[in-house]
Amino acid sequence: MAHIHLGEGSFPLWALVLWTLLGVGLISAVVYRVRKGGIKTHQIALAGIGAAASFAIFQLNIPVWGGIHMNLTGLVGILAGPLLGALIALVVNIFSAALGHGAVGLLGANTLVNASEAIVAYYAFKSLMGMDWDVFPASASAATLGLSAGAFLMGAIIVISGVNGSALPRGDLTIAVAGLVGLNLGVAVIEGILTGFIVQFLASVRPDLVGLADRDTQEEPTGVTT
Amino acid sequence: MQRWKQYGGLAGLFAAFLAAGYWGFTATGGALPWAKRSAQALQRGVQESGGALVDFGRGIVVAGPIRKGGLMLEFGGLVLLLVVLGVGMYVYVDRYGGFEDGDRQAR
Repeated sequence: MAHIHLGEGSFPLWALVLWTLLGVGLISAVVYRVRKGGIKTHQIALAGIGAAASFAIFQLNIPVWGGIHMNLTGLVGILAGPLLGALIALVVNIFSAALGHGAVGLLGANTLVNASEAIVAYYAFKSLMGMDWDVFPASASAATLGLSAGAFLMGAIIVISGVNGSALPRGDLTIAVAGLVGLNLGVAVIEGILTGFIVQFLASVRPDLVGLADRDTQEEPTGVTT
Repeated sequence: MQRWKQYGGLAGLFAAFLAAGYWGFTATGGALPWAKRSAQALQRGVQESGGALVDFGRGIVVAGPIRKGGLMLEFGGLVLLLVVLGVGMYVYVDRYGGFEDGDRQAR
């Protein structure tokens, strides 16, 4: 659920420029990879559903740990892959910022944070499945690890940037941010369990969606006959 | 890999992260919504506090900036649009095998 909720003007200008440039760089690299290597059409369709689910759950505050929201970026990364996962992170953050949830100036930073979650979750899932793990522990662990990567990146971005108007010395700010990162790790467990159940269900009904079976070998739907 | 090792690893990961989560919860103001917790922690530093870890009485609510800004209709519209687009694309691709011929490479 890592997401920088600070308002406009919270970061100094140099930090804003830095994170925006890095965000643009990441998205440029992703678009280049997509154009160069291509992606399968069913992945694009899946990404559409992933974006809808992620955007909707992004805005819902659940009454756990005092009140937090989930991202589903781990799930999105596992299902849509790292490239589309990064693009979905951008889309979700743009829509969220348009509604006032997250600053427009922090789009670059928040895209980096959420894209890292999807990317790490995807590669962790692939690695664990390659080690012959079951679907549930692999997907739950992968999503939790992905979200923790996002949480640490979020903390690093805030500490490196500093916060305008905060009188805290860098050391105290680091400890406060560590507390926020710690809480995010707790939230990652909840989201990891949820992701594990969803991926396990999808693997049981449509293993091709999670890359566990070749799409072409799936049985053709027989449809309804009279 | 043996199943007990997989679930043992998962349990260890969860235990460590839940402990970190609990420390973060108490160190950053206790039972506070995330935006308030974040602003408070970054302005005033660590503040020990407690409260319920789970408060079902509060229910699931839409994020403050949307709810208080009167943007519920726009939020609902955007979700609906994304759902219709996503499900529509998925059904189309699943039924016809792709947007053009088979697995077209996106360009």
